[in-house]
Parts: sequence; C-alpha cells; structure tokens
Amino acid sequence: MNTIVCVKQVLDPEIPPAKFKIDAEAKQVIPPPGVPPVISVYDERAVEAACRLKDKHKGKITVISMGSEKAADVVKHTISMGADEGFVLSDESFANLDSFGTAYVLGKAIQKIGEYDLILCGRQAADWGAGQVGSILAELLAIPVVTLACDIEAVDKNLRIKRIVNDGFEVLEAPMPSLVTVSSEIGLPRLPAGMRLMMARKKQIPVWTAQDIGAEASQLGKDNAHTEITSLTVPTRKTECEIITGPTPSEAAVNLALKLNELI
Amino acid sequence: MSPVSATYWGIPGYAIFWVLFVIAFGLFVQRLYILYRLMCLGKQENRFDRIGQRITNMLFEVIPQWCNLKSVTRKDLSGIGHALLFWGFSFFLISYIVFIGLAEGSGLHKVLMGSTFETVYSSILDIAGVFVIIAIVWAAIRRYVLRPERLEISVEAGVIMIMVFSLMALHFCIEGFGLAGSGDTTDWPPVGAAFARFLSGTGFSKSTLAAVSHGAWWLHYALILGFMVYIPRSKHLHILASAVNILFKPLGPNVVLEPIPLEALEAPEGSVTFGVSKIQDLTWKDLLDLYACAVCGRCHVNCPAQLSGKSLSPREVIHNLKEHLLEAGPGLLAGEAGASSGSQAKAMIGDVVTEDEIWACTTCGACQEVCPVNIEHVRKIIELRQNLVLAQNKMPESAQLMLRNMQTRGNPWAGAQSLRLRGDWTNDMELKILGESDNVNTLFWVGCTGALVERNVEATLSLTRVLKAAGVDFAVLGDAETCCGDPARRAGYEFQFQILAEENIEIFKSHNIKEIITSCPHCYNTIKNEYPLYGGDFKVVHYTQLIADLIRQERLQLTNQLNFLFTYHDPCYLSRYNEVYREPRRILQDIPKARLKEMERSRNTTFCCGGGGGHMWIEEQHGTTKINQIRIEEVIETGAETVVTSCPYCLQMLEEGIEQKGVKDSLKAQDLIEVVEAAMKQA
Repeated sequence: MNTIVCVKQVLDPEIPPAKFKIDAEAKQVIPPPGVPPVISVYDERAVEAACRLKDKHKGKITVISMGSEKAADVVKHTISMGADEGFVLSDESFANLDSFGTAYVLGKAIQKIGEYDLILCGRQAADWGAGQVGSILAELLAIPVVTLACDIEAVDKNLRIKRIVNDGFEVLEAPMPSLVTVSSEIGLPRLPAGMRLMMARKKQIPVWTAQDIGAEASQLGKDNAHTEITSLTVPTRKTECEIITGPTPSEAAVNLALKLNELI
Repeated sequence: MSPVSATYWGIPGYAIFWVLFVIAFGLFVQRLYILYRLMCLGKQENRFDRIGQRITNMLFEVIPQWCNLKSVTRKDLSGIGHALLFWGFSFFLISYIVFIGLAEGSGLHKVLMGSTFETVYSSILDIAGVFVIIAIVWAAIRRYVLRPERLEISVEAGVIMIMVFSLMALHFCIEGFGLAGSGDTTDWPPVGAAFARFLSGTGFSKSTLAAVSHGAWWLHYALILGFMVYIPRSKHLHILASAVNILFKPLGPNVVLEPIPLEALEAPEGSVTFGVSKIQDLTWKDLLDLYACAVCGRCHVNCPAQLSGKSLSPREVIHNLKEHLLEAGPGLLAGEAGASSGSQAKAMIGDVVTEDEIWACTTCGACQEVCPVNIEHVRKIIELRQNLVLAQNKMPESAQLMLRNMQTRGNPWAGAQSLRLRGDWTNDMELKILGESDNVNTLFWVGCTGALVERNVEATLSLTRVLKAAGVDFAVLGDAETCCGDPARRAGYEFQFQILAEENIEIFKSHNIKEIITSCPHCYNTIKNEYPLYGGDFKVVHYTQLIADLIRQERLQLTNQLNFLFTYHDPCYLSRYNEVYREPRRILQDIPKARLKEMERSRNTTFCCGGGGGHMWIEEQHGTTKINQIRIEEVIETGAETVVTSCPYCLQMLEEGIEQKGVKDSLKAQDLIEVVEAAMKQA
C-alpha cells in the first residue's frame, strides 16, 4: 500500500504565549529566536496513521512538505517515525500561498510522484488552522475525500474510515485512492526509535522547485490568490479574578454556585 | 592415632577419606563449570584492564572486610558480624587445607601434630571459633528475632548457619574429646584444653572419649565436604563470586553505559536488539553480579523507590534475574549446543522484572553505593528501559512527552511547563555569547532547567553575577544551547542522547572550548564522564568546585554574616556519582556565623530528591509516597532554617516538598550559589 503524506512545518505551538509576536503592518508572524520550527501536530498524526497502515500492510510512505528548505527537518522527522522517502517543495514563488495555491503545488508534486493508494493530510495546520488544503487537493486530483478520521483500515481494496462527528463517530468506506484528513483522536504519534533516528539524520532530502514539479506561475503568487489577509492581530483576553469566600467551606461553595448562576 | 590412619570395617581410613573428597570435589567443580558456562551466555565486555590495580583494590576491600564495614552505621552494625565471620572462617579454611588435606589426608600427620606450629595455630583457631560462634548467634538473633526490614526469612540462610555452627561445635568436640582421650594435660589450645579437663572429670573411659573424638572428626569432615557441595548451589555462592565481582568492578564512574556500536546502526532493521530484553543481552559481568549477590538487602532499605512504596526493590530485581538465569540458562546452553532452543518460558521484561519496577528507578545509585559486592543495578535498569523505548515503544505517557520534547525541541521542558525561551535569561546581563566573541575558551553550560525554569533561572543569574564579580572570563551559548542529553539517556532513549552528545561536542570543538563550567550535576556528570566516549574530552568543573577554588585564591570574599542553621542536601549526581561533597561544605563553613547541621543520609550516602533518572518528568507510581516528602522530613529533623543544595532538580523538588509539607514559614530551600552571593561583600 503506497501512501503519500503532506506535512507542514510550523512555528512551535508550545512556545509561551507571551513570546508570540506579530508584525501587524506586514501581516506576518515574527518567529521568536532560538526556537526551531516543528511539524504541525495534526500532520504528525497523519504520519502516525500512515505508519500504522504500513505496519499492517507493508508498502511505502512518501512525505512531501512545502516550505523553506529548513522543512527538510520535519521530513527527516517523519522518516525517523517510519516514512521511506521525502521531498521538500521550495521555491520563491511558493511563499505566502493561500490554501488554493498550496493545494495546487502539493497536487503537482503528487502527480510527479505518480502512484499512490492513499493521501493523508492533517485535519488542519497547527498555525493558520484553515483546514482547507486537504479538500481542495482531493478536488484537484479528482479523488474522494474523507475528513476528520480517527481510524483508518484497509479492507480488501477499500478504505474503512472512522470519522469524528459532533456526537460520536461514523464509519465510511472509500475506494483507493482517496484522500483522508486525520484528526488528533487517532492517538499519540510514536516516538521515533531504533536506528531510524540515526539513519534519518543522515538522509539527504531532495528539494523540488516550481520547475521540477511543473507548477505554472499563473497559479501562484499573490495576484492569483483566492483569499487575502486583511488584518492580523493577537486577540486580547481580559482576565478578572474574584475570590468567592464564605464563613465555612460549604457556604463558600453556595456563594460560588450563586455567582456562577448569576453569570450564566 | 589419627582418625584417617585407622581402619573401619576392614576399609582403610585413607580410602574413605579420598573417595569422599573426590565425590564432593567433583560435585563442586561440576556446579562451578555450569555456572561458568551460564555466565558466558552474556555478551562480551572488557573488564581486564588495569589488572594490577584491580587486584590491589580487591585485596584491600575483601581481606580487611572494608566492603562490609563501609556501610556500618549506628543502626546497622551487622557488617562487623560479617567481618568476624569472614576472618574467623578464613582461619578455619586454611586449617582445613593444612591440617585435614595435607596432614591427615597425605599422611603428614605425625610431622605436624604436636609441633609448636600446631599448638599456636590451633590456639588461634579456638579464638577464631569463639568469634565465629558469636557472629553466628548474633546473625541468628537478627534474622529470626529482630528481623530487620532488609532481610528475608530464607531456608538457605538457616541451613548455612546451622552448618557453620556445627562445624565450630564439632571442632571443639574433636579437640576436647581428643585431648581428654589421649590423657594429655595441656593448657593449649585454650578452649579445647578446658573442655578436655571438663570431660576428664566426667568419668568416661579414655577409649570412649577417643572414639567420640574420631566420630566427631568424621562428621566434621563430612560437613566440610557437604559445605563445599552446597555453597555453589545456594545463595552462599557469594562466598565464591563476590571477591571476583569486586575484582571486575568499574574503576571509573560507577554507572558504565556503553555507546551503541556503529555496526548496530548499520545492521538491517530488526536484526539487532537494543538494550536488554533477554538474559543473554546482559554482559558476563552483569551475570557475575547475580552470582555475587548475597541477598543482604542493603540496597532494598536504601532505595528511594522502595522506601516510598513503589514496586521496585533492587534486591528483588537482582535475585529474580539470578533465578531466571538459573532457570532459563541450561535450556539456552542446550539450544546453543545443537537443537533449537526450547520454548521461552518467561519474558524477562514483564515476568521477571516488571515495567513498573523498571520505570520506578531514579538512577540515584544508592543501591550501588551500599552494595558490599559492587553489583551494578543502575546500568541494568537503564538498559531494560532502552529496550522498552527503542525496540518496543513502551513507556509511561509522561516519559514519552519528555522524550518527544527532547527529540523535537532539544530540551525536556518545552511546552506549558516553561514561560521562557532558551536565551531569555541572558537578556539583562552583559555576557559574552559564544560565536560572537570567540576568544574565550571557558564555557558556562547553563543546562535546560537553569535556563528555562523560573526558580532555577534565579540561581543561574546569581551564579553569573558571582562569576563576573570574581573576574572569571567565560562565555555562554545563549539560545544556541541545547540539552546535554542526560534525561534522554536515563530514560533509555539512547539514540537521542547520542545525537545530542555528538552535536554538542562538535559545537564545543568548533569554538575551541577547553573548560566547561556547569551548574547542573546531571550535565556535569554527562559531559565529564560520558562525552569522552564520544570523543569529547574537556575539563569540566561543577560551580561548587570553582567557587571553592575562587575563595581559596581570595578572588571571592565571603564577609557578610549569615547567622542561620543550614543543612546541605547532596545531589546524587554530584556526591555519589562524582564524589564532590567536600567543596560545598567548605564554602558553607567559610561563611561567617553560618552553622551547618548534617542529615543522617549525606555525602555519598545521600538520599535522592526524587528527580533523577528522568523523574523530573516521569510521574511517580500512583498511590505511593512522594520521594521528596521523605527527604523533607529528614531536613526538618535537623532543625535547619535553610536547606541548601546545588542541583536545579533538587532545588525544585525540595521547594515542592516544603510547600506540600506546609512548612514554608520555618524552612526554605536555596541554591548554594544564592547563599554565596548573599554572603559576598556588596560592592
């Protein structure tokens, strides 16, 4: 079973909130110094899903990541988890693409890779959180898409996918190839172990440019974007603290309940 | 007439003597050979270096019984009993060879008997015998009446005590009845002679007395042979194995972890076992450890995990591994010889040593410190973890989170645990940053905790100010510093440690670093003792050593009076692992008016704070006491107003302990450097 996983390198979501800075003028995030970017958490779970399928059915996992050349680090991370091969898609014209542009670039790279039974993406990126790329990519490749998967099984020639819905989950079947976006409920990604960790470190990750994958300039760039960022701000959150007291603990609890009742 | 030269039912005594000996010796050698072959199931390991030093060490530890006497405390005097038994029995062992083997067995009886040597030696034996009996009675009272925590009631121990006691009693019977029977009136050997005088007065005929003496002699002989056969088949195998184990003990750092060999990295996936999952994955020295164990239980009563109610007992781990070796080993040997190895009855991880036990260890090394026979427990535990983490992907969730952070972020504190970024602490300081000013050869390695955790950053800043005041020229890495790899290594994530070690060594070398100052004892131990195996040889000092030096050179003056009662908590990785416990005390004693009161467990026998071995992040087993609570109670016992330490983990654990104990008003925890700064004359 051949799987392609699309992953994104993002600003470490674990940095302390106070350290998160933006440039409102340029509408850009300013990365804090000395914090290496990491793989988007949902994409890491997509890689985990691919590894679990590979554990069961063998096959090959190919990982692609669009971004700067530093994205090689996250591709190496996925190789240490169990992926076989990976490519970085990097080109000046790929900078600041919206979801449509990103999906277009990924689609071109996937066409270059060729054969696949399954494409996996994270449910959304951990930075912008738009959650669009997976569905648009499926549309471009003209294959079925199932979003928010929490379990994926290969049964005969089909995929059986457990999908998260508001009040539980539903089970869907899809043919191969399909695109599935993976949600956190699939479980913790594995800790890269064994010698894969050492091997991945030494692996050369090829970089594909727009020319390599045949991406046309007419689909890229700001002018061809479907969406535009009009403003970028850090939400301000006001916290007020009030200590609810009472002569005895039980009376304090009653006061707290009354206060909560008042607020609701 | 000697008992051996007599004839019994027409059979010459010599024949009986030697036939019995050959049978017993054969059984003895046969067992030793099996044990040797089982030991050879283990992996190779070179412990034959510096053999002269090894032999000297061993003789120094074993003959004066330092190995046992070193752990004698007010509460545990039993090492003295063992020493009496050892010395006393050694005299008997020599006598068995000289008087029984040579004199009786080879017919040299007439030459030796009645000689001055015989009189003197048998007098010594009498005294030794009395001491052995005292030791045995003491041991019996301890085992069966007092029943200290560390000892388990065992049948084997009872058998041995009865055997040794009988040997001594029979020795006196042979002498007493023999002397009385021969009618000799002598004062030497003293006990035998006194007993003979008593027997002569009882009215038994001389021939009866002589016959009893002969009977006792043969019984005595049979018992010695029985002893020889029984020892390698019981836990008293330690009589034979422990001296050898001491011979092969680590000469350098106590916990020796070997790098994963390069071949293993290039071998096809799945063909190499990482860490230890089967008994054959241990080295021959690890297996020798198992033979050497006397089940004395000193490790059991000094292990912080055990004392806080966790399932881990180092004694049980070693004992169970030994049982497993003896049970599974013969099958493996048979399998090796030809037919495929039989069904593996027990899984070593799970059935013999449980995962809970493996994860409960804080790697504090208390077990190894008190072990009289130098068993290496910690390495085995870490190698078992290696297998769980590297090969099975099995670990507590809290361990996985920490290791994940180590792998992706290069430090164990990432995430909601820290409000800081790596280089933040340097913001308000004028510091040389490595790479920007390359003419500095001394690096102050801050460590993750000292750079990221609010409370520990205070100590880091304090140290920086003190070093600057003393005019020490140093640089820091700032936001380019990563983890030294210690938490990854102790938690079994060996590859990640190896990656970090190699990267750090490369950075140190590229900046031409010669000397590294560390504030964290874990970084200190890792860089000093473990980096050399990866090609990184640097001069590493802990700040306590450096500060003590600066005070001696009068580059630092502690002039302010601090009229407080202090107690000093020794960090395991500084005191026990690296024997740095004099310097911190010297510093405290240099402070005017400061008073120091020691805890009972201090210096190299310190007690863990609960934070070592990855346990700053790995949660303690649910429903057990927290280790830092035990330590805080010991701190409170001293009546100290301030508990001082010199490790960021210890500082956090002690503060947390104080908080939870609710004694914040009467007790505070400080890093030694903060005390030093307070005692310095303000410019």
